[in-house]
Amino acid sequence: MNLFKAELRRIARRRLTLVFGILLLAGVVGLAVILASISTEGPDEAALAEAQAQADEMNEQNPDYLDCVEDESYFEDNEMYGWVETDPEYEGMSHKEACEHAVGGWWAEDFLWTYTFDFADEGPFLIVGVMIVAGLVMMLLGSSAIGAEWSSGGMSNLMVWHPNRMRLWGAKLGAALTACAAGVVVLAALAFGLLVLVASLRGEVGVLNGVWWEDTLELVLRTGVLALGMTLLGASLAMLGRHTAIAGGVIAGYLIIGELIVNMVSMNLSMDFPERLSLYTWVGAWITGRIELVGGYTGFNDMTPDVMVITWSDAGALLGGIVLLFAALATWSFQRRDAA
Amino acid sequence: MPPIIEISGLRKTYRRSFRQPHNALDGLDLEVAAGQVHGFLGPNGSGKTTTLRALLGLIRVDGGTMRIFGQEVPHRLPEVVGRIGAVVESPQFFKHFSGRLTLQLLAESAGVPKERVEAVLEQTGLRDAAKSAVKGYSLGMRQRLAVAQALLKQPELLILDEPANGLDPAGIHHMRELLQWLAHEQGVTVVVSSHLLSEVQQLCDSMTIVSRGRRIVDGSVAEIIAGHSGASLSVRFPDAASLPEAADALVNAKPEVGAVVERDRLVVTGAPEAAWVTRTLADAGIYLSELVTQTKNLESVFLELTGTAPQPGQTVQVGQSVAVPQTAAPIEVPVAVTPDAGPQAGTEAEEAQR
Ligand SMILES: Nc1ncnc2c1ncn2[C@@H]1O[C@H](COP(=O)(O)OP(=O)(O)OP(=O)(O)O)[C@@H](O)[C@H]1O
Ligand SMILES: [Mg+2]
Repeated sequence: MNLFKAELRRIARRRLTLVFGILLLAGVVGLAVILASISTEGPDEAALAEAQAQADEMNEQNPDYLDCVEDESYFEDNEMYGWVETDPEYEGMSHKEACEHAVGGWWAEDFLWTYTFDFADEGPFLIVGVMIVAGLVMMLLGSSAIGAEWSSGGMSNLMVWHPNRMRLWGAKLGAALTACAAGVVVLAALAFGLLVLVASLRGEVGVLNGVWWEDTLELVLRTGVLALGMTLLGASLAMLGRHTAIAGGVIAGYLIIGELIVNMVSMNLSMDFPERLSLYTWVGAWITGRIELVGGYTGFNDMTPDVMVITWSDAGALLGGIVLLFAALATWSFQRRDAA
Repeated sequence: MPPIIEISGLRKTYRRSFRQPHNALDGLDLEVAAGQVHGFLGPNGSGKTTTLRALLGLIRVDGGTMRIFGQEVPHRLPEVVGRIGAVVESPQFFKHFSGRLTLQLLAESAGVPKERVEAVLEQTGLRDAAKSAVKGYSLGMRQRLAVAQALLKQPELLILDEPANGLDPAGIHHMRELLQWLAHEQGVTVVVSSHLLSEVQQLCDSMTIVSRGRRIVDGSVAEIIAGHSGASLSVRFPDAASLPEAADALVNAKPEVGAVVERDRLVVTGAPEAAWVTRTLADAGIYLSELVTQTKNLESVFLELTGTAPQPGQTVQVGQSVAVPQTAAPIEVPVAVTPDAGPQAGTEAEEAQR
């Protein structure tokens, strides 16, 4: 326990932690500020009137539109527009509006450039985005805490103090995961608070009912687990490679070169669902819960393509397996190998 | 009292791809008695650091047994590690932390009281540098920090690999006093490896000399030096041209005498007494200008034992020190001492009597 606390303190006292912490906080605050500045609660009366005038002006250049507006029974009389009467979309529209939509082609919204931030709708994905970035940063932090310990030479001294390598590894891993969890939770909470604030000031909060909470919590929870998994992977790679750069390099290398190879394979091999070679697909499936890959058409006359469904449990098994494999390798290597 | 450290038959082989495996430790034995300062000596690459790393569980060994405080290590190291403080080959610390934070984190991790940090900073002379980052430390300051962390636990056994590395004369002096105080007043057992032989001679009570991963001698420092001081004579002549002639004369008179020309003097070994040399040379019509009885210091004993004494015109390469045959017992230290050699064991001058 002492060792774990000391390791946690070691991470907290690093300069990199401070730098990353400030960057992440600034990022979340910046996101909120940008949203606040581009979101408005909707156009006011004057802007609406002006946009309507612009739309009218455009439509009035169309003689058919003018005919339509003048003739209340334009749609019934004109067999080309007979469908308008029955189309549910047009139900409840005034005659002028219907003319705008069916004949003129311009309406007020075309001349209004407003964006209203809807928290219930967009908030969860923004929070998930913040959590993924935070998770990546915490992964870097966790793996560099281990990698720097190795490359600075401090690790062998620590091993002299704590000869039980499994305890040492456990404490280091525990500290990295705790730091990751703390960082991700704090940032997610901050993002939640700030986004709700922005929504209530300059947008719409929307309905946060039980279903919303359930869906959001599920999403956020899975993203949190993803962040922890990334940290575990980063720490294991740093332990295996005994250098931060190796952990970072392997991950970045996979994400770039690995994806390149995936693309080449999918172009040159006639393989079904080449996307499934990409880790991004599985990460996406894990976060969103379900992904459908649309395959090629199997036969000449077959118009329904094959579909491959990846659920979050499939993705979890694969990603979890990869992470655990590296963690086991790192554990084994730390237990067996000589300290440089 | 049983030895604090017992190592027997320790082997460590480094396997290298495309090359022959290298036996860094080749059946090494080591015993360290309680309450002593024990010197651990050997030429570069003879396996000192490897031994200490193995003892502390940093590397796996391929054979042999090790015990500390009677406990089998590395298996039971976690139980005894709280009583051991160690510095292995100038340890490195995380560069951006201050010296104090480095020590605080170590102390916290092992449940050592916080007051110890200030105490060891004071003891190692780092009080004023404690605030600054290790990055800005000089070699000697890092070494002091390393010793400070070894002292944190108030260990009963202190293992120091070249603790004097990079220390200034005052630092070395202070280190010697500190280690002697720890050993003789506090009952701490100290093991130091060092290349500063005059330092070892002053500091250590007993020592072990290793070469190529095997022990070649061990025992008390005074006895080892005394046992190898088969006194030699240094003879000079007014005219350097008579050196070969004098050498011939001595060897002809007594074949077991060794006479080697060393620059402007003749080094005579195995002569019965100084008077015999004077007489023999005078009989041959050669008159000497100076005759000195040489007693050895640790340096010359070390060079002789390890076979690393410099040869004119060539460098002794690393790994070329003497190899002890596998079956041979370590060289026994003769306990009988020539009457005049004992008291001089602690002197530093190469030529003590003139
Ligand atoms: N990691 C390693 N890989 C391969 N060989 C090694 C390794 N570490 C040490 N050796 C070899 O083991 C031998 C003993 O090295 P060691 O460091 O123990 O020497 P030493 O006695 O401490 O020397 P020095 O006086 O220079 O400190 C050397 O020949 C060295 O080349
Ligand atoms: Mg060494």
